[in-house]
Amino acid sequence: MNKKAFKRMTALALTGVMAMGTLTGCGGSGDDASTSADNTTAPADNSSASSTDNSASASTDEAKTETPAADDSGVAGIEGWEAFAENVTLKIPVYDRGAEGVPNVSDNYWTKWIQENFGDKYNITVEFVPITRTDVLTSYSLLAAAEDLPTILMEYDYPKQAQWAADGYLTTYDIDEFAKVAPTYYQRMVDLDQLGYTEMNGDRYFVLAERPYYDTGYTYVTFYRKDWLDQIGYDAYPETWAEQKEMYQKLIDEGLSEHPLGGHMVTGAGVDQNYAFRTYPLDEENWACYGDYAIPALGDAANKEFIRRENEKYQLGFLNPEYYVTDLETEKASFVSGQIFQFAGYISADVDFLTALYEQEPNAEVAVQFQAEIDDPDGGTVSAYRADNPFGMMIGFSSQATEDEIKAAWMYMEWMTQEENLFTMQWGIEGENYNMGDDGLPVPVADYSGDCKQGFNNSKDYWCVTIEARNAGTIEEIIEASSPKNLPVDLTQQLIDNYYRKVKLAENGRAVSDCNFAVVLDSVGEYQASLLELYTEYRDQLTMCAPEEFDALYDELAQKYADAGFQEIVEERKEAYEAGQSTKLQ
Amino acid sequence: MGKTKNGKEFAVHTTWKNSFKRDWQLYLMLLFPIVMVVLFNYASYPGMRMIFMDYKPAKGYAGSKWVGMETIIKVFKDADFHRSLKSSIVFNLLDLAVGFPMPIILALMLNELRYPKFKKVTQTILYLPHFLSWVIIGSVAYTMFRPSTGLVNIFLMNAGLIEEGIPFLTEKWHWAVTYLLIGVWQGMGWGTIIYLAAITGISGDLYEAAMIDGANRWQRMLHITLPGIKSTIVTLLIMNLGRVMGSNFERLDQFGNSQVKDFQYQLAIYIYEKGLQGNKFSMSTAVGLFQSVVGLALVLLSDWFAKRLGEEGLL
Repeated sequence: MNKKAFKRMTALALTGVMAMGTLTGCGGSGDDASTSADNTTAPADNSSASSTDNSASASTDEAKTETPAADDSGVAGIEGWEAFAENVTLKIPVYDRGAEGVPNVSDNYWTKWIQENFGDKYNITVEFVPITRTDVLTSYSLLAAAEDLPTILMEYDYPKQAQWAADGYLTTYDIDEFAKVAPTYYQRMVDLDQLGYTEMNGDRYFVLAERPYYDTGYTYVTFYRKDWLDQIGYDAYPETWAEQKEMYQKLIDEGLSEHPLGGHMVTGAGVDQNYAFRTYPLDEENWACYGDYAIPALGDAANKEFIRRENEKYQLGFLNPEYYVTDLETEKASFVSGQIFQFAGYISADVDFLTALYEQEPNAEVAVQFQAEIDDPDGGTVSAYRADNPFGMMIGFSSQATEDEIKAAWMYMEWMTQEENLFTMQWGIEGENYNMGDDGLPVPVADYSGDCKQGFNNSKDYWCVTIEARNAGTIEEIIEASSPKNLPVDLTQQLIDNYYRKVKLAENGRAVSDCNFAVVLDSVGEYQASLLELYTEYRDQLTMCAPEEFDALYDELAQKYADAGFQEIVEERKEAYEAGQSTKLQ
Repeated sequence: MGKTKNGKEFAVHTTWKNSFKRDWQLYLMLLFPIVMVVLFNYASYPGMRMIFMDYKPAKGYAGSKWVGMETIIKVFKDADFHRSLKSSIVFNLLDLAVGFPMPIILALMLNELRYPKFKKVTQTILYLPHFLSWVIIGSVAYTMFRPSTGLVNIFLMNAGLIEEGIPFLTEKWHWAVTYLLIGVWQGMGWGTIIYLAAITGISGDLYEAAMIDGANRWQRMLHITLPGIKSTIVTLLIMNLGRVMGSNFERLDQFGNSQVKDFQYQLAIYIYEKGLQGNKFSMSTAVGLFQSVVGLALVLLSDWFAKRLGEEGLL
């Protein structure tokens, strides 16, 4: 065969392949459509059934007659449940945090325990779907594209759920049906006044878990080196900026730390919280338009003052000059190796960086930095902090799930809410993960590493479908159970004191929850990701610029940020706020 | 065409059937790569219709709305796209300018090494960086080149050569140089393989003749080796030109930080940020197609140009 003919053949073959591919593609989608059109009893597969958002709920309604419902007996709740006639697969998402030293998130003692104690009883196969914690949206969109969404979609961020509702990931549900299958769960939502958050654009999509102590969060704490303060003659962590500056400088002068505040690169949502830099009482419209912590409000006065403070810390050498190329793990390591003065983290029976610090330096002593109690007019801050949403996990139901699968999900949530099941999931097995104390409260076994080892943060990523914190007695007892163990110092009382400071501030309206909207804000979906990237670039420039250039540079970058989409978000929020489609300032 | 004994030409008739019967084992071997190419390079083509849709993964192709050229217009109006396109082109051209000649020079130098063991060891060491992932190279680079705690700066400061750390990776112009040079370091060893293979194809008689004529090493390299691998160089250049629109996400991501976004924000980052993080699959597919189309055009253009210069070309 000569060269020309060969080329012609190859071209023809490739064209043929392309054409075949295209035809196959079209044929494929046609099949999808016809399948879902024919199969009227089948799943709420709105990915191909119809282009309208409500199709999912329509097909869900149709599906009701499919298999014997689990609550056919007419009795509400667990008592009335019966096993499904045909096995139902329930897919539950679980965060994969990439944490070390915890069991495989989708297959471990506890996933099997759930299967044995819940799944087998009702003919449900419970599968756990790992969701990358740092890339939740991508994980879900890949699953959606593969038509393999988990039965429920869980997220803490209201805007993400709103976006999923708008993009057809979620189906609506009938709350009366839900109340029949999961009465305990439903009643709690009513008692906690959460029903207002279940709707988006007038349709009911969400179910909400409980977040106890949502406005007095006691679990995320800054720890500092008290032994260093003792060395420079301080008996407590000062609360005003002027005093703090003096203290940090002394730490540097005494050679205890080169850059006492350390610092790490900012990434993602929730960075640079500026609640202490706001003017109180808050202006409600400003709070609605700029107050949300998911997209930093570059251009707002509180954000400007927050970054100005960062700039000052940087110029004074309190921050690590390489903070913007230092990740969180590296910063943690520098706390453990005694290079920086403080580090913040969640409390648990085993706080790794505290344990490691004491191992490294037995003479060290850590203490809890208290929430500032007083305003600091000279420093330009007030004693205020971010309160969480008045709900824990937000749960939506997959538009690709069948009616039975959704019912199984409701059963799962109700089952997890039952005291004895929740207790075992939160505390583990007696004699293994904990021992019962004399006061009838569980005492966790520190450093437990047997077969029943719990997942990250006491397996919270499993029981978060119902509640956000371990419950056992009074708040003092809860904090005691969660405070770091196996350290030469007992931090329980400090943690309790810190909690009560927050209670006092919350009573005075200084614990601020962010505004949530009952409509989907398209601009948020459109610009959030790129604004977050842009923010890290701009705020680092502002942190490191010469102080005399700060104001001019801030205005310039704020303008660019506004043009890159933030202005559109602010305007859309304002519109929704004015239309009464948002929560109100408490 | 064949020739008879008396010199007359006649046509050789080889039918498909005959050639298949004769070489069926070869065709069978060919089947596997063809299936691979079809599966990975062509089977995804139908998915490209999402460019003309407001594609939502949960709604699938059937449920997503058709929007015509809207996505493409949006991409071309997007300031971030322009920024990333500009950086991509500039950096890829620089990569080509700095990175393309290096393997050739290196291959010529390796070819001159006469002690075989030394040559082999050198080659192996040069190949190694190619097998390191960018994640590893990136973190090693940061450990080496941080402004004040990087090993290189500590060494230079202790040696009294500099007073302040050089911001190798934290100031955009320094970053550009470091980024390009690390790229060259990573790829040059591997790039020599094809040239070395081409060099072995050059007849030893030529070198012998040149030596008899009194040509020194330099002259032999310049007048025999280089012309001997010219067509290989042209072929590789054409292939590399096709990648001018390309973008390596791992490399860019690992070397990124907030202070060098101006240069680091290239197409791969744009596609990741807008497409995956921002959930805009239609937009990133449109950019991906744009990259491929421009890449193809560049290959065709350079091929045509090479042929005009009297080279064989690629196609």
